[in-house]
Amino acid sequence: MLHRLSGPFCLLAVAMICAPVLSAQTSQSADAKKSPAANSTPAGPFSHDLSGVWMQYDDGTAPGFARMNGVDDRTRPPLTPWGQEKFDAAKPLMGPRAVGGQEDSAALHCDPSGPPQLLILPNPWEIVQVPGRTFMFFEEYHIWRTIWTDGRPLPKDPDPSWLGYSVGHWEGDTFIVDTVGFNDKVWADLSGNPRSEQMHLIEKYRRLNHDTLEQQIIIDDPTSYTKEWVSPPKLHKLEPKWEIAEWFCASSELQTYDKDVRKPSGGAATQPGK
Amino acid sequence: MRIPQAALMLLLVGSTFAPTGYAQANSTNGTSTAAAKTQETQPGLSHDLSGVWMQYKDGDVPGTPGMNGVNEHYRPPLTPWGQEQFSHAQALQGDKAIAGKEDNSALRCEPSGPPQVLILPNPWEIVQIPGRVLMFFEEQHIWRTIWVDGRPLPKDPDPSWLGYSVGHWEGDTFVVETVGFNDKEWLDLYGNPRTSTTHLTERYRRLNHDTLEQQIIIDDPRVFTKPWVSPPKLHKLEPGWELAEWFCVLDENKDYDQVVRKPAGVAPASK
Repeated sequence: MLHRLSGPFCLLAVAMICAPVLSAQTSQSADAKKSPAANSTPAGPFSHDLSGVWMQYDDGTAPGFARMNGVDDRTRPPLTPWGQEKFDAAKPLMGPRAVGGQEDSAALHCDPSGPPQLLILPNPWEIVQVPGRTFMFFEEYHIWRTIWTDGRPLPKDPDPSWLGYSVGHWEGDTFIVDTVGFNDKVWADLSGNPRSEQMHLIEKYRRLNHDTLEQQIIIDDPTSYTKEWVSPPKLHKLEPKWEIAEWFCASSELQTYDKDVRKPSGGAATQPGK
Repeated sequence: MRIPQAALMLLLVGSTFAPTGYAQANSTNGTSTAAAKTQETQPGLSHDLSGVWMQYKDGDVPGTPGMNGVNEHYRPPLTPWGQEQFSHAQALQGDKAIAGKEDNSALRCEPSGPPQVLILPNPWEIVQIPGRVLMFFEEQHIWRTIWVDGRPLPKDPDPSWLGYSVGHWEGDTFVVETVGFNDKEWLDLYGNPRTSTTHLTERYRRLNHDTLEQQIIIDDPRVFTKPWVSPPKLHKLEPGWELAEWFCVLDENKDYDQVVRKPAGVAPASK
């Protein structure tokens, strides 16, 4: 079963960041296998087993498309002056401020995406849990992140990084991830809302039932926003037959994509190394 | 600390590295398992390969890591077509390298896949879960999956940067086979070509708790007249290390050009 929900979306949205080489594929063996990471006993409601390949539900305004509102503009608090300056300078990929041919998302340069932006994109992602760590793998640019669950605290003075430094713990049915240590080179979303080095990102996960994962994103970034930014939870569907496909953003392939897709649709050319 | 190796990289011609951080020592080892210790007391080598590994320094120049997991001294003759591909490549190191003209794909932040990613002197980590072995590389924050659930290699894979890998045990040896490569990166840093018909075999043995042996075998009849069998390389367990974040970012490459590459007389990254 091939999926490429974002494919047609890419053509509609001007200069979308997607240049997939492959789509998520079913297992190569003749009979489709369950993800090997899944337990043999199906995870029941509120299980602490979050493993599996997940995909956000289509709940966008256009049928069949995911809204990418895990970070929800509608609940965004006011910006600080610093935040406003960054926001005004950003040339977003979509939304009312997007100008065809002028978009300038970091992803157009093949810069790595990081949380929370990475978490809101409509591509398959996978959770694997091992002792002391939870891994998340994203089809988006083949990114992976580690969430340390061995009880260590957040670092006090982390170096800025694309993915931040994440620790996680359970509170009852909810897995809570705290991340600090971001750089400010990636937006918080696709609209140009800023992510500063002071951002403290909180994610809350609950496995509502075997097939459904609830994800909520809370942004605490006093440098950018005057209050905490709490987005409504998003639901993700388990896709037991899917395996994350390889998808890198490679500058050599970007040039081909510019020629075949972006320019004909009036989108901005990519700018690797600009 | 890895600082001596990083300093070495800056000196080497055409270094591809622009790290944002180094592997850090951390008192908590997230991957230490009781299984490794238990296995030590039993006959045969452990099937637990987990841990953060780093190749020993055993290059041609004393104190260097060598990056010879794919070993030039053992390369078989090229076919005529292979020779033609090889001659086009502007190597990063070795006799053919010309300072200022290197053109390894990693200089443009193109993804580094096997076997090149396996020979670079950066920490990497193995994590084993049911049905899969995961490898994580500090190099460009790359990860790969090796399926160990019994599935066969794909018959007609789409070309990809990492290929499609399956693994199985033969006694003490974990054997990984990979097909489905694209031809957009080299096998090594000399320009030896990787193609859609490259069949890569890796063989791993955990010789003892602290030592992993890795052997790389390349088979591509279109390029080489025989399989290319390199001698095994030893890797040391680094229980206090955790992989640091390191992305190759073209935007950052411009700064690195100014500060490191041009002063060292090597090719700038961006084209």
